[in-house]
Amino acid sequence: MATATESTILEAQPRTAGTKNDARRVRREGKVPGVLYGAGKQALSVTLDPRQISRILRSASGHNTIFELALDGSERTQAMIVDWQYEPIKGSLLHIDLKRIAMDKVLQVRVPIVLKGEPEGVKTQGGILEQVTREVEIECLPGDIPTSIEADVSELVFGKVLRVSDLPHNPKLKFLSDSNLPVAHITTVKEEVVATPDAVAADAAATPAEPEVIKKGKQEVEGAEGEAAAPEKAEKKAEKKEKK
Amino acid sequence: MLMPKKVKFRKQQRGRMRGKAWRGSELTFGDYGLKVLEPGWITDRQIEAARVAMTRFVKRGGKIQIRLFPDKPVTKKPAETRMGKGKGAPDHWVAVVRPGKILFEMEGVTLQDASEAMRLASHKLPLRTVFVKRESAVH
Repeated sequence: MATATESTILEAQPRTAGTKNDARRVRREGKVPGVLYGAGKQALSVTLDPRQISRILRSASGHNTIFELALDGSERTQAMIVDWQYEPIKGSLLHIDLKRIAMDKVLQVRVPIVLKGEPEGVKTQGGILEQVTREVEIECLPGDIPTSIEADVSELVFGKVLRVSDLPHNPKLKFLSDSNLPVAHITTVKEEVVATPDAVAADAAATPAEPEVIKKGKQEVEGAEGEAAAPEKAEKKAEKKEKK
Repeated sequence: MLMPKKVKFRKQQRGRMRGKAWRGSELTFGDYGLKVLEPGWITDRQIEAARVAMTRFVKRGGKIQIRLFPDKPVTKKPAETRMGKGKGAPDHWVAVVRPGKILFEMEGVTLQDASEAMRLASHKLPLRTVFVKRESAVH
C-alpha cells in the first residue's frame, strides 16, 4: 500500500479574485483559476498550469497526492487538491480548490477501492461483478494516505456482498464510511427476449396511452359538480342552436 | 416504452435548450458511457431502440444504466386538419438533453464490447455522441 505523498512541485501565481470574466481571461491564456485555503490562513486566489494539475489527477495517487506548492517562487507549502471542475463537453479543467496540509494533523480523504481477482460468481455462476461503491472515506495522517484500498473479490458469489467492514483495515486508517455500506456484489442480467408480434400487441394493450393527471383536491370537488352540470350546459347549447 | 406514471399537466410548451449539461455529465454507475454533444430531444422509441441494440449485442454480459427519462409530452395534430382549434393531442414522450449529458452507462464488459455496443446505440439516436470511459477502467 503506497502512500500518496510525492516530491512534485506545483507552481502557482497569485491573482486578484475577481468576477467570472476575470476567470475566463485566465482560462483564455491557457491557465486554470484556483483557490488555496486551509491551515487557519486566509484564502488566496491563484493561477495554475492545467497540465501539471492533470498530471497529478491522473497519477496513481490521484487527487490525494500531497505536493509542494510554490507560490510565485517565494512561499512554499504542502498542499493537495480537494475539488476540481471539468467542462462537460471538452473535459478541460475549469477550476481547482487546493488545501494547505499540516503533516501532523489528521485529515479526511476519499480513497478509491480497487477490486482484485476474478469472482467465483462470475467464473462459475455466470454473474456480473457490480462495484457499488468506488471510493471510501477515511481519516488518517497526510503521510499515511494510501493510493488505493485493495479488496479481494475472488470468493464473491451470488447472494454475498462485500461491505466496507470487509475491506482490509489498518491501524493507521480510520474508516468513516458506514461499515455496512456495500462495496461490490454479483448481479445478473436478464437476456433480451426477442418479442413476438402477439407479445408486442399484448404489451401495447397493457400500457395505458396516457399517464394519470394529478388533480388538486379542490378541482376534484369541482370536477364532480362539473360532471353533473355538463349535461345541462349541452342542453342550453342545443337550445341556442335551435333558436338560430 | 418509457413514460411517466403521473403528470401534473397533460401538455407542455416546447421550451428552450440553452447551455450545457452541468449535471449528469460524469460517469456515475458504470465504467463506460455514451455522451451527447448536441442539444435536442430524444424520443421514448429512440431510447428503447438504443437500449435493445446494446442489450442484444452484449447478451448476458453487461449491466446497462439508462441515465435519461422521457418526461416531456409532445402533441400532434391529426393529419389533414386545418390550423387552429387548439393544441393537438399528446402523441409521444421525449427527453430533453443538453450537450455533455451521459445517456447510457455500462459495466461488466470489455472496452471493445462496450465501445461496439455504444456505437450501435448511437446509430439509433438523432444527435452526435461520443464514447467515454472511466480513467480507472480496465483496458
